[in-house]
Amino acid sequence: MSFYLLCKVLFSRKVVTGLLLVQLAMTLALLLNSILLAQQTQQQLNQPTGLDLNNTLVALLKPTTASLRVYPALQELLDRQLAAVQALPGVIAAAYANQSAILQGGNNGNIYDIEQEERTNIPTVPMYFVSKDFFSVLNGKVLQGELPQHSISLDGPVQPEVVLTKSLADKLFSGESAIGRQSSRGRVAAVIDDFYGQRYSDHVMYNSVQVAPPYGVDWGYSIMLRTQPEQTEAVRQKLADVLRAVEPDIEIFHVRTLAEQHKDLYRNEYGLAMLLAILSALMLLVTMVSSYSSTHFHALKRQQEIGVKRALGASKNTILLELLSENWLCTVIGAVFGIGLALLLNQALAQVITIPPLSWWLPLATCAILLLCVTVATWYPAAIATRISPATATKAL
Amino acid sequence: MEQFIYYLKVSFKGIKRAPLPYALTIFILSVGLGVFFANATFYYQLNSDPMPHKSDKLFFPMMLLAPYTCTDCKPPRVLSYSNIEKLSQSDIPSAKTAMYSAGGYMRLNASQPALPVSIRITQRDFFSMFEVPLLHGTIWPDNNARHEIILSKATAEKLFGRTDVIGEKLLLDDRHLTVTGVLDDWQMLPRLYDANNRNHLSPVEDVYLPLETGYDMNYLSNTQSQTFDQTDYRQLSTQGRTGALHQLQYWVQLDTPAQQQAYQQFMANLVQDEKAAGRHPSEANNQLIPMRNIVNYFGGDSTDIKAFALVTLLFLLVCLFNASHLSLNRYLGNQYEFSLRRALGASRAQLQLQMLADVILMAVFTITGALITAYGGIKLMNQLLPSNRLFSSWDLTLLLSLLGIAFVCSYLVTLYPSLRASFGNLNQQLKE
Repeated sequence: MSFYLLCKVLFSRKVVTGLLLVQLAMTLALLLNSILLAQQTQQQLNQPTGLDLNNTLVALLKPTTASLRVYPALQELLDRQLAAVQALPGVIAAAYANQSAILQGGNNGNIYDIEQEERTNIPTVPMYFVSKDFFSVLNGKVLQGELPQHSISLDGPVQPEVVLTKSLADKLFSGESAIGRQSSRGRVAAVIDDFYGQRYSDHVMYNSVQVAPPYGVDWGYSIMLRTQPEQTEAVRQKLADVLRAVEPDIEIFHVRTLAEQHKDLYRNEYGLAMLLAILSALMLLVTMVSSYSSTHFHALKRQQEIGVKRALGASKNTILLELLSENWLCTVIGAVFGIGLALLLNQALAQVITIPPLSWWLPLATCAILLLCVTVATWYPAAIATRISPATATKAL
Repeated sequence: MEQFIYYLKVSFKGIKRAPLPYALTIFILSVGLGVFFANATFYYQLNSDPMPHKSDKLFFPMMLLAPYTCTDCKPPRVLSYSNIEKLSQSDIPSAKTAMYSAGGYMRLNASQPALPVSIRITQRDFFSMFEVPLLHGTIWPDNNARHEIILSKATAEKLFGRTDVIGEKLLLDDRHLTVTGVLDDWQMLPRLYDANNRNHLSPVEDVYLPLETGYDMNYLSNTQSQTFDQTDYRQLSTQGRTGALHQLQYWVQLDTPAQQQAYQQFMANLVQDEKAAGRHPSEANNQLIPMRNIVNYFGGDSTDIKAFALVTLLFLLVCLFNASHLSLNRYLGNQYEFSLRRALGASRAQLQLQMLADVILMAVFTITGALITAYGGIKLMNQLLPSNRLFSSWDLTLLLSLLGIAFVCSYLVTLYPSLRASFGNLNQQLKE
């Protein structure tokens, strides 16, 4: 079986081969970029958050009467809700917060080292106003200093102390000890492990926490709780009822795990990656149909030629290999064009969405997938063609 | 007509002779067009202009009137109450309105369960500028504070069980208000009057409250509020009116180019006055954004739909090539029959008419398949990209365009194979 003859057979039907090559190239381009996007989404979903995503529950709430949204009624409501939630079997720690972790955006602002405002000013750093058990819910390590033990009102004469995540402390104070330093939000009392705050902030791990009642709850507030692993679902089932039993005049927007909140945060990326994956699968199916149909049709047209070859001593395996080789050659040529097209598509997509550039190994892996699909699709018509009897050759005489 | 029916019969016979290649061609075209239709629906609806006759006359003025120093900065996306007071001093616009949105709870009396509602806190010109239809009652006569509320038709029906509720009392976050208007069915998609933070994807609000009353009742914006000084946002009715608490959107109607130019000059003068008074240290950066560009200005274009549009177009092309390939195989399979007809005296025009019958038949099957696929595709996209859910409906223009595209695709798929069958060497074809 000569390579030259294979090429000659392939290019004797120029239009059909041309159409097949275009399809193969486009399929490879789309497949490559879909895999890239799926990989990126997977990386985003798997990035470390510093939180126990599966065993931390968040309930987002808001009182439905204005009187419950102002102090002291609000403080009394928060205390009653916390007491009821903490009494649930399986709850390890519970706390209220003006906002939960792992959000798109929310309550945030500038923070800086009071002695070097110009150099250290960092925008959009989330500010958490929480009850003291918030740190137990996060379950992170205290790296420096001591956590504040008492809630201090933000309206009082003394500002409550601030707890910073490690990344933020390092950035603000250039790696020096942050304890006792004065930030624009107050004196730093402790530095804790990083945790994922807000996606649209300057850095997702920059967070500052103060043990203080929230300013207000016009945007709602969160009750966060960490549960024993086997009890999470049971606590989740009861949580809404318990909160309503404490106070019926509240709206519960949702009760969910941080894992669900994290997935929701990347919902658009996940959705687009899923759509592209479905489209890639369809494209592979279309290519397989095309390869099947092409092989089937040309095997029929070449019955006499195959019969003559069989009469001259070609085995069934030789015929099968010949037909498969034609398709493999076509796929490889299409894949070479496809890699070029994939680069162009990658650049076009990068104009509208965030997508990483192509890596060297991905085209090889994608070519292998394409070859496998084409082989599966062409196997059956090629196998049928091997059954052509050598007697068919006599029809050509 | 009789002849055409004959052509259709011949087409059917052709399909029966080789049903698999035909079914595969229809399947591939339907999938390609269906996926393309599904995404085109979102793309078309998201980029549509809800007020094509007026969107070039409505503008969002943006100015860097904030108490901080910044070079090369864009103006804040929302304005403060005092910014609005200054901008409202001009009589150049034919209409002007400030607004923001908030969330609240409504009930008829204290013993009833609360109904969560979205509130648009705005001024009287909002309703004329955005052509909001009124079913009952009247719009507020001026922009003063008043304990009056306008309800959407759906909210009135939900709360009272009827729409003619003018003069009825209700509680909004424990405050008594009187209903003075009920809107007719109204939806503005995309909701361009509030495009910040991709809010143009949301439906219009349930209730409408005067701006001054909203400030008196301490309603904070539920989408974006920023403080650039020590203003306590809980004191909206007092400090919120004087401090740099930014949460308002502002729209002006400028009907002529002369008005637009005059208003730009007014903005430039205003910045100069403010800088002279030492209130706003940053360099001037005035923007007058037309409504049709507002989504783009705020960077709220649906990039996921754009990216998917590119890919679905590619997919459609692949399907077209594939269907052409299948179609070519089918025609080459039937070539002997074509050649025989030519040998018996059929003209090329008659063969092309036969092809037209094939195209019509294929278009009918393809359109049916494509619409079913598109319907499934839209459902899937609503699940995977739920923020675009409101933009998944078909209108007549869209449907007709889609039908046209399906017909053209069916024609293109059949064109080359039929030409090849009609114009080849007759002797050679009969020998094969």
